[in-house]
Amino acid sequence: MANAFMVSGLTKTYQDFVLDHVSFTVPNGCIVGLIGENGAGKSTTINAALGLIQKEDGVVSILGREELDGDVKEQIGVVFDGSNYPEILSPRKLNRVMKNIYRTWDEQVYFGLLKQFSLPYDKQIKQFSKGMKMKLAISAAFSHHSRLLILDEATSGLDPVVRDDILDMLLDFVQDEGHSILVSSHITSDLEKIADHIVFIHEGKVVFEKPKDELTERYGIIKCGAAQFDALDRTDIISYRKMDYEWQILVSDRERMQKKYPKALVVPATIDEIMLLYIKGEK
Amino acid sequence: MKGVLVKDLYIARSNILVTIVSLAVLGFGLSFLLETSALLVLAPVAATTAAFISITSDASSKWNKNVITMPVSRNQIIGEKFLFYILLAVLGLLTALISCVILACFGMDITLYSLCLYSSIGISATLLAGGISLPCAYLFDPEKSQIVFMMSFMAGTGIITGLVLLINLVLSVKENILLAFGIVLIISAICFFISYRIAVKVYQKRGII
Repeated sequence: MANAFMVSGLTKTYQDFVLDHVSFTVPNGCIVGLIGENGAGKSTTINAALGLIQKEDGVVSILGREELDGDVKEQIGVVFDGSNYPEILSPRKLNRVMKNIYRTWDEQVYFGLLKQFSLPYDKQIKQFSKGMKMKLAISAAFSHHSRLLILDEATSGLDPVVRDDILDMLLDFVQDEGHSILVSSHITSDLEKIADHIVFIHEGKVVFEKPKDELTERYGIIKCGAAQFDALDRTDIISYRKMDYEWQILVSDRERMQKKYPKALVVPATIDEIMLLYIKGEK
Repeated sequence: MKGVLVKDLYIARSNILVTIVSLAVLGFGLSFLLETSALLVLAPVAATTAAFISITSDASSKWNKNVITMPVSRNQIIGEKFLFYILLAVLGLLTALISCVILACFGMDITLYSLCLYSSIGISATLLAGGISLPCAYLFDPEKSQIVFMMSFMAGTGIITGLVLLINLVLSVKENILLAFGIVLIISAICFFISYRIAVKVYQKRGII
């Protein structure tokens, strides 16, 4: 399966933060969720990949091309947190701007989406709510026949109803196998709904890149007391955390662990819990 | 680039009332205090305010970041802003010229000589001010660049005075005033072009977050 997006060894150094040789891919037809706490390096990765900041090292390939020229940009739709359009514009005026920017701009699709989202054509963007601004940004990203969508914290701060609408749109988008999505978010429940793969970034490094199903169906948490914890084989432990009344141990194969430790309580792990145990747990 | 220009023209249109009112007040005042044609000095400068409003709006709405992900190169983004600036200056000048011609029809003392002189001073001051402030808008944050924008007009006037004094060393400005200000206009245009090249270079490497 070819990759719609690939970063390899992406490096960027700031005074107090290093994006350290980040590598991962977004295969064609897939939704990849980029997760990590605030300041982990998700936006830096996207900014460096999109040429917003200069990378120091590494290779970025978007839709099979290493050079991010106008032809490639025609085929990618990017949505950041907020609308990022001049607030004095209205959706109708924005259409006039965009059709002079994108060769492939499709007015019919754009106005169709505005109608679907019940967005007014002639109201200034500054009068829009955050949810309306986000719907407008998504409509614009969908209206030039993008093959790759990149969403950077696009659903943060939105209410569950709007988020659900947007997630449905993203799922519809990848029904076409030539379409792919990279979505960075710290709302892992959204990614549990839509992502095919999860890339977890922590302190500027990729901790893992795994199929979501492997994380949700195979990973687990052993909840036990101190005696049971001491009896565990250390090679089975990814990380562990001592809570007030129990130990929580992250394991990569909960069924095997249940067989190996029949007296232990092994429960499925959510992506949130996996992320928390990786960040806060000990190894 | 056309789309970005359309966006800036919308921003300029939303501020046009402020520009027209300021020009009308200035024109009315100048017609009593000085020569009416002196409006030609102020009109291009006043008209270019919209360029800085658009730069501030781009920064505050984070359009700067968004547009980089669109099929528009960084060169085109800077080129458009300089083009937009010139366009506004020319529009300002044309508006003032039309006003002067109308006033001349009503018997105001306006000569072709004064029109040429004040037009060249106005455009020179605008080009020099833009040449200073436009690259700074991409070097500094919006607050600092607004200070630079305000100071650039004073700097532009200072540079024109300096240039006139320098030209006076070679030829008498009093006797060749139109020629002298023609030379100033050419130098200002060259400075503006150099400034554009510098801004392109600065913006190529600049991180936009």
